[in-house]
Amino acid sequence: MKSNLLLLLTVGIFSLTACAQKDTTIQPAQTTIEHEVVVDGLDIAWGMTFLPDGSILITEKSGEIIRFQNGNKQTLTGGPEVYHRGQGGLLDIILHPNYVENGWIYMAYASSEGEGDGGNTAIMRTKLNGNQFTNSEVLYKATPNTTRGQHFGSRMVFDKDGYLYFTIGDRGNHNENPQDITRDGGKTYRIHDDGRIPQDNPFVGQAGAKEAVYSYGHRNAQGIILHPETGEVWVHEHGPQGGDEINVIKKGENYGWPAVTFGENYGGGAISDLTTHPDMEDPIHVWTPSIAPSGFTYVTSDKYPSLKGNLLVGALKFQYLEHVVIDGTDVQRREKLLEDIGRVRDVKQAPDGTIYVSVEKLGIVKLIEKEVSGTE
Amino acid sequence: MKITTIKLLIFIGLLSCKTNSENKEEAEYIPQEKIALQQDQSSESYKRGKLVYDDFCVTCHLPNGKGIPGNFPPLDGTDWLTDKRTESIHAVKYGLSGPITVNGVKYNNVMVSMGLTDQEVADVMNYINNSWSNAIKKPVTIEEVKAVKK
Repeated sequence: MKSNLLLLLTVGIFSLTACAQKDTTIQPAQTTIEHEVVVDGLDIAWGMTFLPDGSILITEKSGEIIRFQNGNKQTLTGGPEVYHRGQGGLLDIILHPNYVENGWIYMAYASSEGEGDGGNTAIMRTKLNGNQFTNSEVLYKATPNTTRGQHFGSRMVFDKDGYLYFTIGDRGNHNENPQDITRDGGKTYRIHDDGRIPQDNPFVGQAGAKEAVYSYGHRNAQGIILHPETGEVWVHEHGPQGGDEINVIKKGENYGWPAVTFGENYGGGAISDLTTHPDMEDPIHVWTPSIAPSGFTYVTSDKYPSLKGNLLVGALKFQYLEHVVIDGTDVQRREKLLEDIGRVRDVKQAPDGTIYVSVEKLGIVKLIEKEVSGTE
Repeated sequence: MKITTIKLLIFIGLLSCKTNSENKEEAEYIPQEKIALQQDQSSESYKRGKLVYDDFCVTCHLPNGKGIPGNFPPLDGTDWLTDKRTESIHAVKYGLSGPITVNGVKYNNVMVSMGLTDQEVADVMNYINNSWSNAIKKPVTIEEVKAVKK
C-alpha cells in the first residue's frame, strides 16, 4: 500500500508538471555565447539598424529615435507621429539597400492618421539630415483605425530585387481581417521602394483587393528575414496560446489564420480543429508552447561559427534568445542563448558581422562567441 | 486492488489537468452568469472593463486571471489588489517592470504602458477587482486614477 501511495504521489506530481507551461523541447546551448551591453538606458528598443559610419539607429516603442555613435546617444527629431497604445508604437527601422546613394530610411509604426478613432500600422520613408529627419513620405497606411491594442506587426525587409516587404498583424480582429484580401491586417505586403504597387503582385486587379498584399492568413508577424541563399522571405509570427510559426512567404498564398492553427484560445478552447489544409501553406516550424517571437536573423557572420547558417529569434515570453539550427527548411535543434536576460525584442546582424540583441529595459547587447564545444 | 490503483492514477492525472478544461468553460460560459449574480459585475464600468481586459491583459494574465506562474503574476486572489491599490492602478496606468513579489512569489518581467485613458484604467481595475474570486467592492473612480501620478 505504501508503495502504491508513493506511486500515486509520483504520478500526481508528474502530471502536474506535464500540465504546467514548460518547454521541454528546447536544449541547452552547445556553444558559449557571451554578451556585453553596448547601449544602456533604453526602455523598449523595438528596432535597430546600422549606418555605414558604424552608428546605430534605435527606435524606442514610445516614439523616440536615437542615434548611438561613439558611446553617445543623440535623440533625433522629425520622426513619425506615433499612436502609442497596447502593442502599438514606433516599431521597426531599416535602411534602403542602396542607402549610401539615396539615403532612404524606412520606419514602421502605429499611426492614427486618417479617419476614425484609434490607429493602424503605417510605413514611412525618410532621410536623416544632421539630427533631423526630412523628406518624409508615408508609403502605406493600413485602414481602418481601431482602438484595439493588439497585433500591429510590424517588421520590414528588402528582397534581392529591391522590393520592400512588411508585415501587419490582424489588429485583434481575426474574424474579419486575415482571410479577407480586401481588408488590411493579417498580411505580408510587397511594395516598390517608393510605395508604388508592383503590377505582378498577386491580387492586382481583383475587385476591392488591397493590392499591396503579397500573402495572407497571418496573425502577427514581428520577425522577417531575407534568406541569403534562397532569396526567399521568411517570417515568424505569434500564435495565440501555442502555435507560433515560421513561414516561408510565397506569392498569393494563404497561411491559414484563423482557419488553421496549432494554437488555442488564451486559457484553453479550440480556435480551429484544423492544423493543416490542402489549400493553405503549412509552417516549417511550430512553437508550442508559444515563445512569443520578436526579431529574426539569419546568421552569415564568420564571427559566430556555431551560429552561422542558422536562425536567431527573440523570445519575449521566456526571456531568452533562441538559436534555431536548420538544414534547409528543417529545424534540427533549438537552443537557449542568453537565458533569463529579459524580453528579447530584436536581433540583427550588423554589416561588420557583429550580432546585436535588443532586450527590453536592459538595452542593446552584442554577442561574443568564446569557444565551440561539442559537435554541430 | 490493482484496478483501484489504476483508476486512482487516472483520476489524479485528470485532476491535475482540470484547470485546462475549467478555463475552457470559464472563457465561454461563466462570465455571463456571473455578471447577473453580483451587483458590482452589472455596473457599466465592469462591463467596459471586461472589453479592455480581453484586449490588453488576457494574453499574459489569461481569462481566469491566474497568469503564468514564474512569468506573469496572477490577478485572481492577488495580495496587490488588497494591499497595494495605488500601486496596482499605477501599474495599469504607466506599466511596471523589474522585480516584484506577488503572493510570496517573485516575478521579474516587463509590463509595458498600455496607453489607456484614465476611464479605461478605472474600468479594467473594476473588472479585475470583482472577477474570479476577487470581491473588492469599493469602485475605482476616474478621479482616483487621475490622482495617481507617474
